[in-house]
Amino acid sequence: MDAVSQLQRQFVEHATSLYREGYLDDQFTQLQKLQDESNPDFVVEVVTLFFEDSEKLLNNLATALQQESIDYKQVDAHVHQFKGSSSSIGAQRVKNVCVVFRNYCDEKNLDGCLVCLQQAKNEYLLVRNKLEALLNLEQQILQAGGSVPMIT
Amino acid sequence: MTVEEIRGGDNEIDRFPIGMRVLAVDDNPTCLKLLDGLLRKCQYQVTTTNQAIKALNMLRENRNRFDLVISDVYMPDMDGFKLLELVGLEMDLPVIMLSGNGDRNLVMKGITHGACDYLVKPVRLEEIRNIWQHVIRRKVESKSKNNREKSDQGIEGGDQNEKLNRKRKDEDEEEENGNESDDPTAKKKPRVVWSIDLHRKFVAAINQLGIEKAVPKRILDLMNVDGLTRENVASHLQKYRLYLKRISHQANMVVAFGGNNDASSYMRMSPLDGLADFRTLSCSGRLPNATYAPAGMLGRLNSATGVALHSLTAPPLVQPNHTQTKLQPGPVVSSNHQNMNLFQGIPPFELDQLQYSNKPNTHLTDYNSIEESQIFTGTNLADFNSINEPRMFRGSSTFTDPISVLASQAGVKLTSTGTESLNLLSTTSGFLDQNGNQPPSFPSNLLPVGESYSYPAAVNGGFSSNITTTAAVPVEAHGGGLVGHIVQNVNQSLSNQKGGPCSKQDYSQYSQNAFTTLASSALADYGGSSGPVSHSRPNGVGSTLVQTEHTKLQSGFVSSNGYGSLDDIIPGMLKREQNTTMQMNGEFGYDAYMVPGRVYGDESK
Repeated sequence: MDAVSQLQRQFVEHATSLYREGYLDDQFTQLQKLQDESNPDFVVEVVTLFFEDSEKLLNNLATALQQESIDYKQVDAHVHQFKGSSSSIGAQRVKNVCVVFRNYCDEKNLDGCLVCLQQAKNEYLLVRNKLEALLNLEQQILQAGGSVPMIT
Repeated sequence: MTVEEIRGGDNEIDRFPIGMRVLAVDDNPTCLKLLDGLLRKCQYQVTTTNQAIKALNMLRENRNRFDLVISDVYMPDMDGFKLLELVGLEMDLPVIMLSGNGDRNLVMKGITHGACDYLVKPVRLEEIRNIWQHVIRRKVESKSKNNREKSDQGIEGGDQNEKLNRKRKDEDEEEENGNESDDPTAKKKPRVVWSIDLHRKFVAAINQLGIEKAVPKRILDLMNVDGLTRENVASHLQKYRLYLKRISHQANMVVAFGGNNDASSYMRMSPLDGLADFRTLSCSGRLPNATYAPAGMLGRLNSATGVALHSLTAPPLVQPNHTQTKLQPGPVVSSNHQNMNLFQGIPPFELDQLQYSNKPNTHLTDYNSIEESQIFTGTNLADFNSINEPRMFRGSSTFTDPISVLASQAGVKLTSTGTESLNLLSTTSGFLDQNGNQPPSFPSNLLPVGESYSYPAAVNGGFSSNITTTAAVPVEAHGGGLVGHIVQNVNQSLSNQKGGPCSKQDYSQYSQNAFTTLASSALADYGGSSGPVSHSRPNGVGSTLVQTEHTKLQSGFVSSNGYGSLDDIIPGMLKREQNTTMQMNGEFGYDAYMVPGRVYGDESK
């Protein structure tokens, strides 16, 4: 159907740009591979968990960095978690910020940490919007009876 | 899936790994979900939890409920390595570690704690597809080991085989035990093989009961291992106690000698709290010089073992200073390290604690853990106990070679030994079985293990002489033989005392160490340290308790002797040896090592 192919094309374009611009990496493709009949909503489920998890972590980070006396170990623990979850779903840019963030934690560099926190937040919001758009397209395709194209 | 199912027939085997039951633990919900997806894709049966405590409870409820555990390293409620240890100790299931951090040190830590694999996040599907191999490998190893044992052992192994067979049918852990017994043990051991797993259970039971209340019957009940008798447990318990005693003695010795950190570490060890009682058990005062009670134990044990023990204990003491005092300065130094390492190996838990704290070379510690496992494997020595002295020296002739090799390697090898020592142990084991047919690779291994290395030549020498003379004396469990041989070499070295022979001596110590390692492991468990207990799992180390015990004794003994003059030790030992078979408590039955009437002292210079 025309509508379906159009949606599919949009989907491909969107997904490709995400990979190209580094918002997503190969790990996201891996996620899609895990989705099948026995696990039909896998990608949506994982991504949703990622969103929830990330927002919690970002809040915790903000709180931890606002303390009088900052516990960098705790901050690092949060960042470590964030890095883990972002790398699990393939949110590459977020993960990269986390790496830098951890270095600042090791150095107990507050300014560096604060900058990283802001960057992490920004990157997270960006990738969240894009993923939501992508999943939306996917949903529409499926509803229209089409199949979701695989991005390699 | 049980072993039977797997072995049951081609069908079952073909179907596996489909349906393999995996328990996944990760506090990060996103990662856990991903893991869940990956595992489901492979058609495994997945159970997830984000808390290590919950995971443990599930496992404890029914250890047959799962085939494999995958766990993250960094978790808020419990360190992944700790979980790893506990699972290995209590359930003997394969555990795969997972972490975002792929640092070599961490991976090494995973290995030493007994992880059968270490994956770095994000994990790929291909990697997960392969994890079933860890489960099947254990079962296959167990099975083939049983078969091998059956064919090799014949009558002697009958008992063992039966036990092994029984184990095979029964829980995995029993099979694991079978697995852990290396060939050497399998071959000629009619007695119980105290594999690392079995020992862990033992220690867990003791911990649960409390050291004072830990009586064989109750321990046996708690352990719930088919085919294990109260006598087995009683015997093992005695050795364990001696080991604990030795450890505490060592700690004291360290202090006495002013070992560097060791002393402190030892003191730390001492907290095998509650073990103080055991101290009395050790044959303090047996040895003439024995500052260490354990010395007495040594006397009982094969001299070789004893030596080993000494060396073991010595390590801490041995601190670099020792070299000058005791043995060959050159080698000694290295030995010291070795000993230290060895030591680490010994009581996995305890030593680790010590080691880690004291030793600057963390890597050594790792080695130790490894060693331990290996030591267990090579436990043939353990057989000593049960045995018959005659066995001991069987392989002696071959040993000589290793020793020379060792000697050359002495200095160098020691440190790196951790792994080497392990090998030695295994080799030793091999020796035992084959009566010394082991390849010369043995020596190098021995060195590391042989904490004994550092021990003053005297110690070794003394023992060596004893042992060697015995040629006639059957070294129990082949291992003994090795020791004997080494001892012989050692003796020679002893004569030299400082210098060359050191390596040899180490060797003997090494063999002893093997025991110690076992003992250590055992103790470690006891001490509750998260030591290398886990190591037992992956290694098919058939660490026999016997060995450990010996080591324990030896260690204790060695330490005391280490510094003393060989002559003093030997006569003392000799007397002891000759008098009783088991000064220690008759548990070890090593007495035979020393040839009665033989004047050991004359060998040393």
